Amino acid sequence: MALNPMDIYKLLPKTNCKKCGEATCMSFAFKLLNREKKLEDCKPLYEDKKYERQRKKLEEMLKPLEEATETGLIVDESLCTGCGNCVVVCPVHVEKDPKGAAVGNGPTIDDPILRVEDGVVKVINMQACRRYGKNRVLCVVCRENCPSDAIRFLEG
Amino acid sequence: MIMICPGCSCLCDDIYIKEGKVFNACRRGNEIFAKYKENRAVARVDGKEVDVDTAIEKAVEILKDAKNPAIYGLDTTVVEAQRIAIDVAEKLNGYIDDNSSFCLGELVEAVLKGEMPTTTLDEVRDNAYVLVYWGTNPYHSLSRHLSKYTYYPRGKKRPRGYDEDRFLVVVDVRRSETAVLAKKNARFIMVDDDAELVDSFVKVAEGKAAKYAKDVGVIINEMKRADFNVIFGGLGLKYGLKDLNQFKEMVKKLNEVAPVYFIPAGFHGNMRGFNETLFERVGHVNKYSFRDGKSGEEFAFTELLKNEKIDAALIVGTDPVYSLPFEVSSKLGKIKTIVVDPRMSFTAKIADVVIPSAISGVETGGTMVRSDGVRVKLEPLEEKEVNDVYILNKIKEGL
Ligand code: SF4
Ligand code: SF4
Ligand code: SF4
Ligand code: SF4
Repeated sequence: MALNPMDIYKLLPKTNCKKCGEATCMSFAFKLLNREKKLEDCKPLYEDKKYERQRKKLEEMLKPLEEATETGLIVDESLCTGCGNCVVVCPVHVEKDPKGAAVGNGPTIDDPILRVEDGVVKVINMQACRRYGKNRVLCVVCRENCPSDAIRFLEG
Repeated sequence: MIMICPGCSCLCDDIYIKEGKVFNACRRGNEIFAKYKENRAVARVDGKEVDVDTAIEKAVEILKDAKNPAIYGLDTTVVEAQRIAIDVAEKLNGYIDDNSSFCLGELVEAVLKGEMPTTTLDEVRDNAYVLVYWGTNPYHSLSRHLSKYTYYPRGKKRPRGYDEDRFLVVVDVRRSETAVLAKKNARFIMVDDDAELVDSFVKVAEGKAAKYAKDVGVIINEMKRADFNVIFGGLGLKYGLKDLNQFKEMVKKLNEVAPVYFIPAGFHGNMRGFNETLFERVGHVNKYSFRDGKSGEEFAFTELLKNEKIDAALIVGTDPVYSLPFEVSSKLGKIKTIVVDPRMSFTAKIADVVIPSAISGVETGGTMVRSDGVRVKLEPLEEKEVNDVYILNKIKEGL
């Protein structure tokens, strides 16, 4: 169910009217996905009746953004078995917690990104995730090593 | 307080409980800590509630009157209790068995007899390069095996962990959750017949052609690059092969070209403890008859039950009504049954005598043996006086 900017772009007015503060509808689509803009920022979409169907579709599409953390990381707890793979592989943990998560144990630092609590993984410090903030990189390491597809990213 | 989880033979040693939350235990382990107060057994004789001492007295009476008693279970209790259970079986001149007779007992026995070189999970974490999971999917039953001990952690001689310093091999009849993880630096081999793959390893090691030569060739070459490789064997291996000797030969052959160790994949928390404790005493790991002075298929608890060879059973910490096929477990109704269990299991519900016990690792301490043979000391959260050691001692004294 990965979202991509192209699919969003297709439903925008594509007039590049700049009312949203962006130079193009395409760049607005990107910012939407990164949660730097909200759909309401595209005024024409709400003001012009002819876009109503597209707008409804977009609202539907963007719904998962609300349940995701700001990094776009979503954990489906019902699928998670608490195996700890994601906790141990996360490169941020490996760097910051050489005696804990890096060697297979539960995190020994106070602010790990992910931690297994009550048998399932919880996102507790997303600010430390490499997908967060200005210098973000598209890290997918935790998802790649989850045996039960319990981790998803909005952008795919 | 850092605790050890008794949930499976990984015996993870980094669990802690804070403000009512359980940290680091997998889903299965969490169940034990979070729900240990639920569904507790109560002392019963013939369905009527009694006090614990009365239940123990009745158990002694049943065992004394029995002509052919058996003791069964014991995989979730501590070594200290297993020892007393063996004493009781000896005193009764009866049978003793655990779940390993239809689980990995045979593989543990081969290791204890020194028929395959073995190592510890800590050594694996620090040194192992090629990791072969053969006929086992740790995902459900040994959830943290890969993350805590084998593929994912960074070790002393494997500082980059799975990124570059490990090579994962998964052998299974289907694409399991573990097989899905075999991506980069990895091989998944789907087998219909394990014997053919064993044969391929032997042949390729000898430089001959074989059915799985392509995959096996790659794996053996990777093994040669390292001074430490390991195979974890599970139920699929045991049931996939008619003859385990073939597999032992293969491990020997592989060791001529590269160091390869073997560790049984894993099982209930202290199954290996039972195997080792019985092995020390009588030279066999399970399905033992004190009367006959030997171990044999016919002495497996399921066989004894099926063939109506026993008239009483002392069942400790296991739930055969739940885990065995109905045509076998239904026979429990024909004999006298005593259940020692912390929980009101299905078997407890039909038993003549129920003796409620403490949960090992949570309400009572003791020793358990990890899947690799490392002995671990468990400290309880709270101490309950009436535990398996207490109950089994009382029974032993009463006989
Ligand atoms: S306001 Fe809407 S239509 Fe105008 S540029 Fe932005 S996205 Fe495109
Ligand atoms: S996306 Fe990368 S940095 Fe973020 S939690 Fe997952 S592994 Fe860690
Ligand atoms: S890797 Fe997946 S299943 Fe394992 S703890 Fe993380 S989210 Fe849960
Ligand atoms: S892997 Fe086994 S020992 Fe470790 S937390 Fe899970 S159930 Fe407990």
